[in-house]
Amino acid sequence: MTAGTLVAPTSTNPNSWRAAWRVFWNGGLLSYGMLFNWARPSIYIPTLIGGPTFQLLFFAALGSYASGRSPAYFAIGNAVQVSALAGVFGMTMAIANERWFGTLPALLATPANRVALFAGRFLPFLANGLFVSLYAFGVGVVFLGVRLEPSTLGVVALALVVTVFSCNAIGALQGSVSLRLRDGLFGANLLVMAFLLFCGVNIPVSELPGWMQVISQALPFTHGLEAVRQAADGAGLSQVGGLIAIEFGIGCAYAVIAFFLFSYLERSSRENATLDVR
Amino acid sequence: MRTLHLIWAVTWFNVKMLLMSEFFVLTTFITPLIFATLAFFLFRLGNGAAQQTLLYAALGSGMMGVWSTTLFGCGGAIAWQRWEGTLELLVNAPTRYDFILAGQTFGAVILGFYGIGTTLLWGVILFGMPIQTSFPLLLPFALLAAVLSLGALGMLIATTFVLYRHANALGNLLEYPIWLITGLLVPVVTLPLWVRPLSWALAPTWGMEAIRGAAMGTDAATPLFAMAMCVVLAVIYYILSRVALRYVLQKARRDATLSLQ
Repeated sequence: MTAGTLVAPTSTNPNSWRAAWRVFWNGGLLSYGMLFNWARPSIYIPTLIGGPTFQLLFFAALGSYASGRSPAYFAIGNAVQVSALAGVFGMTMAIANERWFGTLPALLATPANRVALFAGRFLPFLANGLFVSLYAFGVGVVFLGVRLEPSTLGVVALALVVTVFSCNAIGALQGSVSLRLRDGLFGANLLVMAFLLFCGVNIPVSELPGWMQVISQALPFTHGLEAVRQAADGAGLSQVGGLIAIEFGIGCAYAVIAFFLFSYLERSSRENATLDVR
Repeated sequence: MRTLHLIWAVTWFNVKMLLMSEFFVLTTFITPLIFATLAFFLFRLGNGAAQQTLLYAALGSGMMGVWSTTLFGCGGAIAWQRWEGTLELLVNAPTRYDFILAGQTFGAVILGFYGIGTTLLWGVILFGMPIQTSFPLLLPFALLAAVLSLGALGMLIATTFVLYRHANALGNLLEYPIWLITGLLVPVVTLPLWVRPLSWALAPTWGMEAIRGAAMGTDAATPLFAMAMCVVLAVIYYILSRVALRYVLQKARRDATLSLQ
């Protein structure tokens, strides 16, 4: 017979900074481990290492063959874009899987700070997106002739971080939308392909028809990728700072819309008793 | 005759089932359009540097969709039957299981071929692409040969991917490299020499060559040879998939894992 140990319940004010930080940090890490279906080597390596490698090689070969441009142009574009695999799919899973795994009602029953809960999801996927993108840059440097100007590497890094953040933000929006959809990954797939077409990843935005250029201005990647390209060629912060700021603004806008949509869906799900309806 | 009827029934059933999946609607109808648009813009950007027509890009993009549908539709075929609890019933049914699997894989491939039609229509409407056929009588046979070889390759994929726990992850891995090395948008001759034997062993290479040869070729010998290669590869894939299937089913029975995920 074993005696049970009585542990005094922890009482933490859910509105305190400490509690919010714990929800932000621990909750973020837990959400990555538990809700991101690809966070295991048997899926991660083929999907987020192998897939991006071949995507770079494919577009470098197709682009240079069809358009006569340097493979490095396509390698840089796709090296930035592959972060969307982690950002958009990851964030969609991190939010929408709460519903599919049946943990959403328990989560929403807690008094946890919603901003901390929501923002905590960003951090691991931001790091993951950066890792995938940096790996792809490595492939580009080794195999496809990508050259980065050493004096502006810091600017490239800043533009990349901001771009990956804004990509995560639109992923969060897709995740929030997915709380009401039968298949959230449908929209995530569409987004990732739209980036390939609209954002100057393979085709310069100036070569697209007018209506496509208008759409591209509102999407993540367009300005950040342009900043990365210019910085890789030696442009300094004074030259590309504006592009980075616009990209950051777009990312913040998507993050705010995503948060309000999440909150709205939470409220309406409570009112309509549809939290668990699939 | 009864066997053909069975395969056809399973094929049609699988087409209808896949059409219910948003993922396969995306893969079959939307993805090829996005890649076709990308290819059209890229070829236009080159001002004819590659000396390829819009039809070349449209057929290649359509075939990319066929490959994606084959890869994802067949890669998880046996695994889905396990999840749905129908694998035991099908394996123990009086009809041969490989016929059922053949119907399933042909369903995925045929659905993929709808995508080629969509892509051609897209090219005509948006880019004013002229439709031409050099050898109209050969074209249906070229399509049939491509379906046959891709269906057999689908069977091989279905019977081998089941050994890997996460078949979809393999699908994510193998989409781009096969698009690249089978010459769907970039000719095989522009690739490094060591890649070419790999291209020759893959059905999409010959299926694409047969269709393009019949639609845009200048001599009938090229599509005819490609069709013959499709048939040869289909036979080889079928034999290999039978061997793999026997191994997989024996292993599942021995380990009592037929119904386990």
